[in-house]
Amino acid sequence: MLKLTLRKAANAVALLLAVLVLNFTMIHLAPGDPVETLVGEMGGATPALIEDLRRSMGLDQPLYIQIGLYVGNVLRGDFGHSYYYDQPVLTLIGARIGPTLLLVTTALFAATMIGTVLGVFSAQRRSSWLSHLVTVLSLAGFSAPVFWVGIMLILVLSVAFPIFPISGMSDAVGTDGGLLYALDVAHHLALPALTLALIYLAFYSRLARASMLEVLGSDYVRTARAKGLPRRLVVYKHALRNAILPVVTFAGLQFGQVISGAVLVETVFAWPGLGTLAFDSILRRDTPTLLGILFFSALMVVVMNVLTDLLYRRIDPRIKIR
Amino acid sequence: MPEPLKPELLTSGPLLSVRDLEIVFRIDGQDVPVVRDLSFDIEAGETLGIVGESGCGKSITALSLLGLVPNPPGRVSKGQILLNGEDLTRAGEARLNAVRGNDISMVFQEPMTSLNPVYTIGEQIAETVRVHFGLSRAAAWDRAVEMLSQVGIPSPKTRAHDYPHQLSGGMRQRVMIAIALVCEPKILIADEPTTALDVTVQAQIFDLFQDLQERFGAAIILITHDIGVVAQMTDRVMVMYAGRKIEEGSVASFIRDPRHPYTRGLISCIPHLSLPPSDVPAPLFEIPGVVPSARELGASGCAFAPRCSHASGRCAAETPTLFPVGDGRSAACWLEVEAAR
Ligand SMILES: Nc1ncnc2c1ncn2[C@@H]1O[C@H](COP(=O)(O)OP(=O)(O)OP(=O)(O)O)[C@@H](O)[C@H]1O
Ligand SMILES: [Mg+2]
Repeated sequence: MLKLTLRKAANAVALLLAVLVLNFTMIHLAPGDPVETLVGEMGGATPALIEDLRRSMGLDQPLYIQIGLYVGNVLRGDFGHSYYYDQPVLTLIGARIGPTLLLVTTALFAATMIGTVLGVFSAQRRSSWLSHLVTVLSLAGFSAPVFWVGIMLILVLSVAFPIFPISGMSDAVGTDGGLLYALDVAHHLALPALTLALIYLAFYSRLARASMLEVLGSDYVRTARAKGLPRRLVVYKHALRNAILPVVTFAGLQFGQVISGAVLVETVFAWPGLGTLAFDSILRRDTPTLLGILFFSALMVVVMNVLTDLLYRRIDPRIKIR
Repeated sequence: MPEPLKPELLTSGPLLSVRDLEIVFRIDGQDVPVVRDLSFDIEAGETLGIVGESGCGKSITALSLLGLVPNPPGRVSKGQILLNGEDLTRAGEARLNAVRGNDISMVFQEPMTSLNPVYTIGEQIAETVRVHFGLSRAAAWDRAVEMLSQVGIPSPKTRAHDYPHQLSGGMRQRVMIAIALVCEPKILIADEPTTALDVTVQAQIFDLFQDLQERFGAAIILITHDIGVVAQMTDRVMVMYAGRKIEEGSVASFIRDPRHPYTRGLISCIPHLSLPPSDVPAPLFEIPGVVPSARELGASGCAFAPRCSHASGRCAAETPTLFPVGDGRSAACWLEVEAAR
């Protein structure tokens, strides 16, 4: 068990290092020069100044030296300085990672929970209205683009019926962490989280429904019924625990996808998270910030996979042996 | 010896009596009968064997006794299933749940998939007693451990904490038997309980059945393809063909003097191990042809007629009914009717 954990940890570190190198290489091979962008925003500069800027940013060195320096710095906890904000990247990300995690986990949690409930109920009554709702939701969720869903929700629930705020994360002046502040954040969170959840809700309700149908037809469910267990126990004790296994697996696998989905949602709702920061950094060729965001996204995915693995082991005893 | 958990019911008449049972499956908007005109009785403590070719309706008959015919597409469309005189085909879900696992329980063919992979075997036995007898968690667990030792699982105290995947197929089937017997049912249905197990384990499981029947006094319905097992285990045999009972009688008469041509074929399919080995192996006997599917069957006529070497015009036209052929036996064959004239 300890050996397994250590091996997994070593794998994760190796993976993150590879991500670091790969991201760095790709971004530096991509067209676009941060110095030119910066100079453009400054309104022009002399060639000498441009040369100076290049040197101060380390951009005059060959790529492999740059990578080495960068990885070395990261290992010391230094993710560099933002070209645009003139702040350490770590500070920038530190302020933004919380809101993104909040948005992504809320959305994924809502999608899996509601999706499972819908799927489980519709699996038990194959031709009820709920089943049809799940089918319609799936179609809508698969085909509607995220930004369109977001804008529609804003139009209906913020403009036509002003129930939820249009954008941002809070109206409160102070961020003292009190209950009022929390409620205010939740109020702001509702629409972006709903938008992001809707895309995945469709998927999870279908997944849960298919999984539940399969489990309900299994031999051990027949055994449970033959024992004379009441329906409640057959469905919620014997079937459900087996049926959510694929949901847990997919939630872990999809976490990365949901983070990338969050980039669009955060942009639509001006949610102050990593997504908006990433979007801005791309436009501004703010390479260090972008690299930092990519690294932390990868880190979140890795951590999430470990958590999923732990959860899976708690639900399914067969895994412990392997 | 476990202490008795239920008072015995004192009623006369057979323990279980199945009357004119018909089971249909709805296929392409049509009700296709897979079991027809089926009647049989079981007395307390006896062992009834049910034999017949694959697909003749043995499993579905067994499931119907527990009200577990998969619905949709299947349902019991006619007849009665009388347990101590109470018709189970009219019983509601709550009543059926009180019967299942408590009065009638079942061991299935597939021990590898019949236990829930995410709960310990102790829990899967214990929950059954909790539900039926309202025992506390601790008491139910003790009872589960005791059952594990009854079915011959070594170190039951530790084994009770095992998950199904930690046990072999034979051990899992023992657990299934423990679940089936933990409430001391009056009837235990075993549907080909050893088909998935290897031969040495098969013998152990059947020994266990016999041993437990002596201790618990349950009636057993044993479904099997194996005539040897029938001879060793059962008191009475019922032969099914294409959804109908075609012959019934004591085991001895069934083996010595089968009446229905299908049963005769069945008996002669057993290779004679007792004969001295010769250089030329005796060819294996088989009944020519295949069982017609439920949908191919006409409304009338003997279902076996197309494969029967004695079939006459009457066999194709009229369905033979069960006809008594002496010592409480019966066979559904026109030959018997004609011979009796
Ligand atoms: N879910 C179902 N849907 C449609 N038809 C079914 C279903 N289950 C069983 N049947 C049909 O009912 C008939 C009886 O099946 P059953 O399983 O009782 O046969 P069996 O005698 O137990 O065979 P075996 O020896 O192979 O176990 C078969 O013709 C089968 O095709
Ligand atoms: Mg069967």
